[in-house]
Amino acid sequence: MALSADTPIQTGIETDVALAARGDASAFERLYRTHVARIHSLTRRMLSSDEADEVTQDIFVRTWQKLSQFRGDSAFTTWLHRLAVNVVIERRRTFAIQRERMAPDPAVLDSLPVAPPRADLKVDFEHAIGQLPPGAREVFLLHDVEGYKHREIAVMLGVATGTSKRQLHRARMLMRKHLNG
Amino acid sequence: MHEEWTDKLSEYLDDELSPRERQAVESHLRGCAECAAVLDDLTRVVERAQRLDRRPPRADLWDGIAARIETRGAAPRRVSFTLPQLAAAAVVLIAASAGIAWQFADRAASRSDIARSTEAQSRASSGYEALAEREPSAERSNIDIAHVSFADAQYDAAVSDLEKALQNGRRRLDKTTIAIVEHNLQIIDQAIEQARQALETDPANDYLSGHLVEARRRKLDLLRRAAALTTESD
Repeated sequence: MALSADTPIQTGIETDVALAARGDASAFERLYRTHVARIHSLTRRMLSSDEADEVTQDIFVRTWQKLSQFRGDSAFTTWLHRLAVNVVIERRRTFAIQRERMAPDPAVLDSLPVAPPRADLKVDFEHAIGQLPPGAREVFLLHDVEGYKHREIAVMLGVATGTSKRQLHRARMLMRKHLNG
Repeated sequence: MHEEWTDKLSEYLDDELSPRERQAVESHLRGCAECAAVLDDLTRVVERAQRLDRRPPRADLWDGIAARIETRGAAPRRVSFTLPQLAAAAVVLIAASAGIAWQFADRAASRSDIARSTEAQSRASSGYEALAEREPSAERSNIDIAHVSFADAQYDAAVSDLEKALQNGRRRLDKTTIAIVEHNLQIIDQAIEQARQALETDPANDYLSGHLVEARRRKLDLLRRAAALTTESD
């Protein structure tokens, strides 16, 4: 379904998407407020707290620019999230993190520092994710936190499905070690 | 802990093993408390990951986004006409152009006593060229159409600016719209050229001057409207 003047009136997010695609900044602000927590959490975990604000803004500006290309084949939230993941991956590649992501390094399982348990378990878990090697963290976040399948992750990252599976297991084992530490 | 088994636990957890592999893992887990404990730990890790909060940024980022989308303009959208609208526009312009051409040709042919009006109706430009070629070159070189108000530098500059604006914004128009606009501009340009050439043979003809002015006004108007389409949502 292409967005046009003939698009039927819908409710909620769909209405705001249709309005924003026609240039309504207020509708786009509502979309921003609905989705910013998820997008910012993704960027913060995939990149860093320092970069999260700037990249989140980039993602929403990119979304605004590409709204006319959204054809409604999937839910807007799914489309936006995929766009956000692409921007984040692009950013990681820019900083050449990607280059070392899939380097085989079995010793890393033993080298990850075990953080002392914290009172706030949620913060502790987030901190542990931040300590994962880049490649393992990327796959762990996309699979276990964001819910993507290995075949989707493989396409996003340009790796084999088997590589994605190995990185996920590696990440889970590191997280297990960290939490049991 | 048996790595050959624990290496399969994530895939076991995600239900990505073949039935045969799955059965083998389950058989091992029944007899190995250590590997079963690893599986429990991995299950906890996955559950924790799925329960992670989604937190908004500490500062509201909207103002920065709003500033950037305002600077860069509104969401680019493709502007398109319906086919009936496009067809109607094309028909009107072609008819107008053909009408002007026919009248130019008819008057010019009468004045120079050359019976070429039929040819001029069907192929106006060649008719004018034929007429112009019959005039003495000295007369043609002295033709002054400066009194045509749309033939000044200001007009040319306005057309040039609008053509640039249209060129810069053409990605916002769909291909069909671009094709129709360009085709119509071509028709108007042809009408302008025909009027200009007819005036070369009959420079004092107010009727032709009026048509040249009208054709140029029409071009300016079409360019303005086409350029406006490219920025309509800004």
